[in-house]
Amino acid sequence: MSKSGSLYIERQSIFHGLDGSIKLLMLIAWTFLAFAFMDVRVFLAMILFGLFLLKLSKLPSKAVWPLLVFIFIFTLLNSGLLLLITPEFGSELTGTYSKAVGIGFYTITYETIFYCITLSLKYISIMPITILFLFTTHPSNFASSLNRIGVPYRVAYSVSIALRYIPDVKAEVENIINAQEARGVAFRKGDAGIGTRLRNYATVMVPLLLSSFNRIEVVSNAMDLRGFGKNKSRTWYHRRKYSKLDITFAVAAGFVLVLAVAIKVSIGAVYWYPFH
Amino acid sequence: MNAIVFEDVTFKYNNLDEPTLSNINLRIEEGEKVLITGKSGSGKSTLAHCINGLIPFTYKGEIQGRITVNGKEPGSLSLFAMGTQVGSILQDQDCQFVGLSSGEDVAFALENDCVPPEDMSAVVDRALAQVDMLGKKEQPPQNLSGGQKQKVAIAGILAMNVPILLFDEPLANLDPASGKKAMETMIDIHENTGKTIIVIEHRIEDVLEHGFDRVIVMGEGRIVFDGTPDRLLAEDLLPRCGLRQPLYVEMLKFCGADIHEEDKISVLENTIKYKDQVVTRYLEDHFTDKRPDNRTILKLESVCYRYFKDDPFTIEDISFDVKVGEMLAIVGNNGAGKSTLLKTISGIAKYQQGSMFFEDACIDKWTTKQRALAIGFVMQNPNHMITKSMVFDEVAFGLRNFGTKEEEIDRKVMKALKICGLYEYRNWPVSSLSYGQKKRVTIAAILSMGPKVIILDEPTAGQDYTSYKEFMIYLDEIKKTGVGIILITHDMHLALEYADSSVVLSGGRVIARDYIDKILADPLIISKANLKHTSIERMGRLYDVEDISSFIAYFTRRITGGAL
Amino acid sequence: MSGFTGFFQSVITREGMIAIVVAIVLCIAVALINKQKGKHMSTKTVVAIGIGAALYAALSAISVPIGPNTSFRIAIALLPIFGAFFGPAAGFLIGFIGHALNDAFMYGGVWWSWVFLSAMMGLFGGFVGFDKKFDPINGACTKAHIAMMYLWSLVGMFIGSVIAYLGDVYLYGEPAEKLFVQITLANISNLIVIAVIGIPAVILIAKSKAKNRGLKKDA
Repeated sequence: MSKSGSLYIERQSIFHGLDGSIKLLMLIAWTFLAFAFMDVRVFLAMILFGLFLLKLSKLPSKAVWPLLVFIFIFTLLNSGLLLLITPEFGSELTGTYSKAVGIGFYTITYETIFYCITLSLKYISIMPITILFLFTTHPSNFASSLNRIGVPYRVAYSVSIALRYIPDVKAEVENIINAQEARGVAFRKGDAGIGTRLRNYATVMVPLLLSSFNRIEVVSNAMDLRGFGKNKSRTWYHRRKYSKLDITFAVAAGFVLVLAVAIKVSIGAVYWYPFH
Repeated sequence: MNAIVFEDVTFKYNNLDEPTLSNINLRIEEGEKVLITGKSGSGKSTLAHCINGLIPFTYKGEIQGRITVNGKEPGSLSLFAMGTQVGSILQDQDCQFVGLSSGEDVAFALENDCVPPEDMSAVVDRALAQVDMLGKKEQPPQNLSGGQKQKVAIAGILAMNVPILLFDEPLANLDPASGKKAMETMIDIHENTGKTIIVIEHRIEDVLEHGFDRVIVMGEGRIVFDGTPDRLLAEDLLPRCGLRQPLYVEMLKFCGADIHEEDKISVLENTIKYKDQVVTRYLEDHFTDKRPDNRTILKLESVCYRYFKDDPFTIEDISFDVKVGEMLAIVGNNGAGKSTLLKTISGIAKYQQGSMFFEDACIDKWTTKQRALAIGFVMQNPNHMITKSMVFDEVAFGLRNFGTKEEEIDRKVMKALKICGLYEYRNWPVSSLSYGQKKRVTIAAILSMGPKVIILDEPTAGQDYTSYKEFMIYLDEIKKTGVGIILITHDMHLALEYADSSVVLSGGRVIARDYIDKILADPLIISKANLKHTSIERMGRLYDVEDISSFIAYFTRRITGGAL
Repeated sequence: MSGFTGFFQSVITREGMIAIVVAIVLCIAVALINKQKGKHMSTKTVVAIGIGAALYAALSAISVPIGPNTSFRIAIALLPIFGAFFGPAAGFLIGFIGHALNDAFMYGGVWWSWVFLSAMMGLFGGFVGFDKKFDPINGACTKAHIAMMYLWSLVGMFIGSVIAYLGDVYLYGEPAEKLFVQITLANISNLIVIAVIGIPAVILIAKSKAKNRGLKKDA
């Protein structure tokens, strides 16, 4: 994350040129698509297509890799937990029972292992488009994009305020913790037990909150004095009219959404298991 | 035409028992440039709220009398309508700057007015150009200095095209050089647009040197002075109101100069007529420089630190030492590396090169906690440090964390409270203390742990002259117990008056280490470190004094009266 | 094993459905209350949501691990606090925006079902404000209010859990039994964070804001 707390990377690409609200629509359609299925074939197609889109976005792989590695590790841990707690879950869905590993009562079935793979691919399939949105949309466009897809502008602007003050608030949190640490308050592992450390965080909460409340008051005064909330709507400095490209992508996103619903309705997509 | 009229205005906040403003009568003409001053709690901020409409719309209370702004009564309008009459620039630049980039922030008011995006660009560019910030249009606030953020804030108000500009303590969070630039920007705008400008500020010298028409002094909710700066400076009103006179005025008065309004001393050059009187006094009187003990407590040797491996060093080759009972000022403008240096000394940031010694022992391997017992650290904002509700508990907190016995805690806490003048308040809740007293609580809390060195970050920030002066007297007491004190500051007055010696930081390096008066007499260092010339130095040059350094030293020490 | 799961699923879902209905009713209630006043969200609430969400994201970096996959997340404490001080709508949006932004920036993806868990804790944290006498910023916070804060937090956690559960089961396709374990662990740790940090912070602030009259200097 850069100094300003955003992930945005400046490049010249088709997605950088796209309006934030369109990318948001694409993200929503894509997420619905993933939610609608439990089918390895769909997810693999989504991942491949997603990676292709990422390629088009010209983002440096150095920036994207850490997040992909993270989701990979996450899915491994999640699968581990799934296998540990519900080793026969896959079989309940398919109605078949092929034993893979068994120790006493505890049996993992192949159906469950395949289910883990499916689930992991599902999580991974959502990633590319999310990354695309986060890395190619300037934070200045977040709020106006949300507003454009129908979020009330006051709520949308609070997202902008959050993005604006994350670095400031972070610095303040560090400051307060450092000051207390210098007075012998234990925050680090090994300095004290879990209970004590947790209570010590309660100590820093009060100064942190009081100072945040003060900030809220002053910022809201500053905004009031400059006419925030004056009208039923507001315009946005960075917003521009939709281009043909924007409209094309919006239509495509809509089409994908309709397609997803159609397939879901026609075949009632459930867990797809090929090895019966 | 009158821009602002107050007719017998009295105002009481709902949650207070006494009125904050009493019987205010005030008329400000269109196009005037007015300074409103007063110490903390004098009602100057409340007066500002009455002008920009926060009273009665945001802060509720009982209001009597009649206020009109450009002929309209705020109470009959709305806060938004007031916003089209008065543009306010608040003291905290970070709170004022709500956009994610300079351009966006300037456009904020236009967006709220539903100006179409295609029409905004030209207005934004023009406003940014007016404050010389067009080149930073795309920059996020994190990449701008305090002074630059303030310029953007001014541009944001200019884009609104309001007739009255109201600045609430514009200098409070800026280093002196940036403050000066901000004032110059304001003056430019006044000259080019003829807008009414009202500045609320207790740093009188820094405002008046820019040629104001009129000063209004507030005291206990009333207007105690309303007239020209020349008349104000000729009178003795400022010290009586707990406010600081410009240094050179203090100096003239110390020399017994007979000053009248007609002498127009608000312009420094007009004081040439007192040359003989001042120079004679300077040559006849003697004082000896008190040099501190020569035992070293803390020593830094070529300390270097960088945040990331591939970055250049943020601070480089820092060497200096602190002696027993010495008050050392580390001065430098914002971004010179002061806070990074602070982090390396307290152990929060591990320096990659160099060494530190505490009483001759190398402390490079010491943890933050070990260092905390030897070197105390007082943050700028007391509200960031205070975690307990009672004064005694707050001061005892550190000792309790380190497992000190309760009877010993009692003794140490009482001693620290006495030194800091808080003994009487030991059973009070911290929240009922003033800002200055809270600041002293944080020092007592550090002092009780028995450190040999105390580091204070911007100790006078947010304090008016009265509480600042009081505060420094207590600090002097602490110094006398043999504790070494490091002040980290951009406040030249402070360093000059109280510090024994000084380290000047610029661009992450030490560019000077000397007695403070010598440093301030060196124009090269002043400009390199982006510091500000003091008016005593300017007087010295005006009077053709040969040894400027000793001239500065003499008068600074004389007018503070204590440090000889 | 499968019998147990089946029983478990049917119970949870039935209760869940009821709870969802309750949640929807309550959400509508809040919306109605807001509408009755005929007012927009105030600028102060907008800023409180923004700063609250920023704090949530900043504090999300801090957690005290208690075991594999579970830790005390300090940021959770903010939800009942901001709910109590700025109302249910602010609490809801701080949880929602804070959680979503943090997920997005830290992990590059948003786990929507759990975002609702945070949002619900904020929403219900604000319900203590139904009692107009509750005004912690001016020092008004009685024992009954404290009890209500705990109660609403519990309700919020329950309803939030149900939504997270349904979301994970029906949208993501996680097994119910595994979720039960995960949600229970998360709720226990969240409850501890709220009890140790969140609600005490509200009480401490209320105490510090209470007026102190008749203070005398001690000789």
